[in-house]
Amino acid sequence: MNAVLEATGLRKRFGSLVAVDGVSLHLAAGEVLAFLGPNGAGKTTTIKMLAGLLWPDGGQVHLLGQSPHQNPGALRHLGAVLEGNRNVYWRMTALENLVYFGVARGLRYQAAQRRARALLEQLELGAKSHTEVRHLSRGMQQKLSLAVALMHDPELLLLDEPTLGLDVESALRVESMVRELAQTGKAILLTTHQLEVAQRLASRIAIIQQGRIVLEGRTPELLGRFAGEHYLIETETPLSPAQLSHLRSLGLEGEGPPYVYHGDSDGLWRLLEALKPTPLKKVARAEIDLLEVFLKVVGRA
Amino acid sequence: MLDLFWVEFKRSWLYLRRYPSEFVGAVVSLSILFLLLFLGARFLAGPGADFGERTEALLVGFLLWTLTIFAYNSLSFGLSEEAQTGTLEQLFLTPYGPIPLFLLRNLAGLGTQLLMLGSIALVLMLLTGARLSFPPLVVLPILTVLIGSYGLGFAMASLALLFKRVQQLLGISQFLLIFLLQVPLEGSGWLAQLGYLLPLAPGAHLARQMMSAGAGLDWGLLGLAFLNGLCYLGLGLLIFSRAVRAAKRRGLLFGY
Repeated sequence: MNAVLEATGLRKRFGSLVAVDGVSLHLAAGEVLAFLGPNGAGKTTTIKMLAGLLWPDGGQVHLLGQSPHQNPGALRHLGAVLEGNRNVYWRMTALENLVYFGVARGLRYQAAQRRARALLEQLELGAKSHTEVRHLSRGMQQKLSLAVALMHDPELLLLDEPTLGLDVESALRVESMVRELAQTGKAILLTTHQLEVAQRLASRIAIIQQGRIVLEGRTPELLGRFAGEHYLIETETPLSPAQLSHLRSLGLEGEGPPYVYHGDSDGLWRLLEALKPTPLKKVARAEIDLLEVFLKVVGRA
Repeated sequence: MLDLFWVEFKRSWLYLRRYPSEFVGAVVSLSILFLLLFLGARFLAGPGADFGERTEALLVGFLLWTLTIFAYNSLSFGLSEEAQTGTLEQLFLTPYGPIPLFLLRNLAGLGTQLLMLGSIALVLMLLTGARLSFPPLVVLPILTVLIGSYGLGFAMASLALLFKRVQQLLGISQFLLIFLLQVPLEGSGWLAQLGYLLPLAPGAHLARQMMSAGAGLDWGLLGLAFLNGLCYLGLGLLIFSRAVRAAKRRGLLFGY
């Protein structure tokens, strides 16, 4: 697949602080990459370098082959919701903001008006089209920021905390929009502290800490890799103390049921042999969520 | 680009229509400022002093100064405000690049600024009894002053981009503009010679001559005034583009 975003070896230092140190990211059409990390890890600095708002000390960024640092025209391929920023003019209405930013991103005036109305309806903001932004709720403002990023139909979306401050319903609406956008072929880089949202949306995960990517991979593979060392074992009948004592020497843990086995698959097979002929109810790889992976990785790093 | 100009134009009119108190406040405060200057000068000159044509000259100078201030200030104030409110980065995501966008924003804002200037002129003509002749060709020297002012505005906006809080400096430097607009180019002294090189001075001199003394348009001087204005605009844009690079290198586009 052709990369929509290709960033290699990005480095940025502010005085003595190394904010980003050799970060490389790539994103293909239709992919959602959750870019995670604790506060101050370098997420926002990286996003701003990807958007051409901050010049890297080293490394390169290409949006569909064009560098936003050398050619502002490359920004036609990019839409961004920037965290902590207002992103829109409070003295203008929702519709006026969308038309303004749509034209500022290269749309013709009439096309911007049509697109703005369609997006407002899609985001359930149609009734607020002519309301000044300062009178909109935080959630509505956030949805409007997303609409601004979508106005010129860019191939790449950088969404820095897009569900921050949204109520449950709005957050779910934004979440389903992100999913739909990915299905239509948009490449989406998403940062969020809501790891359950990241787990539901992301096809790939990258975790950054102290300016370096410490873990990257496809979401199911990463979860599988971290869960792979744990198995849950449940039997139909209770285990006798003698049986249990023998099984514990082979690595069975917990007071059960279910019991937990922590080890590789050879050890698991040895344990299952020892369990014969006890009827088994369940043998399953223990599930792990992204929060546990994140805490393990960040804690270890 | 035409569409971008149109949305910038609409944006400036929307602000004017939606917040008319800001417009009225500016007209009232600038009119009071002129009256204070005018009455103060009359008081100092004594009760028998008759300003005659000098009133017209003063008024022309003041209006030109006001227009220059609008052109000079608006970009810096705009950048500081947008950095504070958080919309500045979204502006820098335009594929047109920041300089064309801000140039068009300056041009688009001219309509509302001229409306404000016209309102101030009307109020002051009513209050002082001054009558200004406005030959259509005077637009040309005023245009040269505007071009130069935008150049100075871009240079000042560079400081706003890098240091954000430049309101004090802006306030003080406005008075330097009075000097530039009043530099006499008559005679052959060193000040007159130097005046041709100073920003705004040739165009301001020409406009003053045409509006208050009823002089015809000196095409040679107009050419010089255009050259002067374009040079300072070019210099301002050069400084601004370097400031944009520095701001992007040092991460100064966000935060205030």
